Order: sequence, then C-alpha cells, then structure tokens
Amino acid sequence: MITVNRHRPSAIALLAALCAQPALAGLVTVDVTTRSGATAADTVIVFDPLDSTPAPSHDAAVIDQVNKKFVPRVSVVRAGTAITFPNSDHIRHQVYSFSRAKTFTLKLYAGSPPTAVTFEQAGLVVLGCNIHDNMLAYVGVVDSPYFAKLGDSGTAALNLPAGRYRLRAWHPNAVAAVPQREISVAAAPINIPVTIDIDSTASAVAVWPE
Amino acid sequence: MTAVAYRTLASSLLLLSGMAAGAATGAAPGAQVRLYDRLGGEVGVAAITATLIDRVSSDPKLGRSFKDSNLNRIKRLLAEQICDLSGGPCQYSGDSMREVHAGHHISEAEFFGMVAELRDVLKERHVSLGASNELLRLLAPMKRDVVEPARATEPAGVHAPSSVADR
Repeated sequence: MITVNRHRPSAIALLAALCAQPALAGLVTVDVTTRSGATAADTVIVFDPLDSTPAPSHDAAVIDQVNKKFVPRVSVVRAGTAITFPNSDHIRHQVYSFSRAKTFTLKLYAGSPPTAVTFEQAGLVVLGCNIHDNMLAYVGVVDSPYFAKLGDSGTAALNLPAGRYRLRAWHPNAVAAVPQREISVAAAPINIPVTIDIDSTASAVAVWPE
Repeated sequence: MTAVAYRTLASSLLLLSGMAAGAATGAAPGAQVRLYDRLGGEVGVAAITATLIDRVSSDPKLGRSFKDSNLNRIKRLLAEQICDLSGGPCQYSGDSMREVHAGHHISEAEFFGMVAELRDVLKERHVSLGASNELLRLLAPMKRDVVEPARATEPAGVHAPSSVADR
C-alpha cells in the first residue's frame, strides 16, 4: 500500500493554474531499493517545494494501539495535523513523547474516547508507551504537502506541480542518512531511484533529515 | 563471643535504639513502630517489590498479565504504593487499581498466587509475621478492583478488531 498525500487544487485554482506559467503537474515516481535486501516498507519520502511556501494544514490522522503495538508504526503528517489516539486494546496504555518537535503524555484507558494531539512543529516525534517497553512509533512532521510512506512494493507515485523540490528520504532503521537532492519537476514524468541501507535490528533511531 | 550472645546483644541494642527513637519523637514508650519501618523502610520496601515482581512476572502461572510490560515502572509504583499505605514518606502517584488492572482479566488464582509469593518474599526478608499480616490486611481490599469475575462469554484472550487490517 502506498500512502500518497496529493495536492488537490480547487476548480478555480485549476483554471488559474492553466493560465499561469509554472503550474503544470508532473508525475514523479520514486523507486526505493534497500542495500541489505530488507523491505523498503515504512520508508518516508518528502518533497519540499523550493519555489513556494505551503499553506498550513488542518489534517487529521489516527494512530491506534492494537495488541500492544502502535498501528501504524510510521506516520508522516503535515505540521498542524491533529492525530487521534484510540485504544483498541482491552488494557490501558500511556503514550508519551520526549521529542523536541512535540512533547506530551496521554493516558489511554480501555474504552475511553480517543484523544487528539496536534503536531504543530516539523521534525521527528518518537512515541513510546510508559507501560509497555517495546511499543514504539514514529511520526515525521513535515511542512510540505508532498510526501509518501512506502509499502512493500518500494515505489511511491506523486503528482507534483512543476517546480524545484528538495527530496528527503528516511526510515527509522536506516543505517546512514540518505543524501538529500534537488529535483526539478516539469510536465514530463520522472523516475527517481533512491537507495537506503536498512538494519531492522538497529536499536538506534535514524536521524531525521531536517 | 558466641553467636547466641551476639544475637542477644544485637536485639537489646535494637530495643534500646527503638526506645531512644520513641523518646526523641516524643512517642509514648512502647508505641508501635510504623509498618513502613518494620518492612525495612525505603531499602526494604524496594527489595520486597523488586523481588516480588521479578518472581511473579517470570512464573508460568502468574506471568501472563506482566508480558511486554515495563517491570521497572511496576516495581517503582508498587514500592511507592506500599510506602504510602504503610505510613512511609511517599504519596502513590499511580492510577487506581481498577484502571491499572482493567482488561487483564486477573483471576482469583492469579491474585492469590501473587499474595502467596508476597508472603514468601516477606518471610525471606525476615519481616515479622505481625508486620506481614498487617501489610496483607492493607492490600486485601484491593482484590475487588484487581480480580475480574469470570465471564460466561468470550474467553479472556486478546483479539484485534477486524478493521485493523485496513488501518
């Protein structure tokens, strides 16, 4: 499954886009290969527009607690997104984050209504559960509306307005930082190969590319 | 000096120091030393809870509900709770026993199994029978919040809701 967040222009914006020069959209596919043969699933791809400033977001997302695990384990959201934390387990959880981008603690009792937490600041937020040591989840908070989280296929496809972008790639178990690069998008489809080194046994969390 | 003499000396010293402490705090002679101290104070209570949790969590009959849990947190909060209950200088900061155990489907057998382990640990740490019973009396009322009555419906297993695969 590929999670793709696409910019959806309104009819007026679309008309304006047709009249204005640089707004043609181009299909961009990203093929992620892992050096270790590990699955590329959960790799995060972000395109930061270099020619425009994205509008703030009021998106919503969900991170559930199921069988003492966070579902999904990796999320990418735009800054300003409110994430709700339901609890599908019969036991309670205590979600916390000590990350600079968002610090909070949340007590989740079985059957209690889900609580929303707004992630205003870009950066990586690592979530844990005070009660269950092994529960871990990662939330990449980004300013750009153009990002994807990879599934097992290792391919992400996005429709990007023409322009210049900075491409970032990250995986929680990446051994080394993936070099960032600049991409120019025009009307023609482009394919970008990305190689990432993943060690699923690594205990340290890979550094988030700011 | 023989071992017996040593022991006699030690107990008289203990008695003397107890009296001195009583005098210093203005308590009447023979006043009860608080349960917290008879359990061994901070060090004693920490040792009792750590040993207890290590044993029950690794016991095949009792460990089920401790699986994947942060044992250090349980030890710390249980020590704090016992300190609070026994008159020590702590205030329990954890959640209610009902909230803590909800969904774990603790059986009577598991509850009494843990009580038996606690008795053993107290005995091994040479806590007097009086102090042990006093502690157990304080903990006993928690049974109604810890134990979940057996249900006639589904077994107590954890199962994921069917919608999980879509998320």
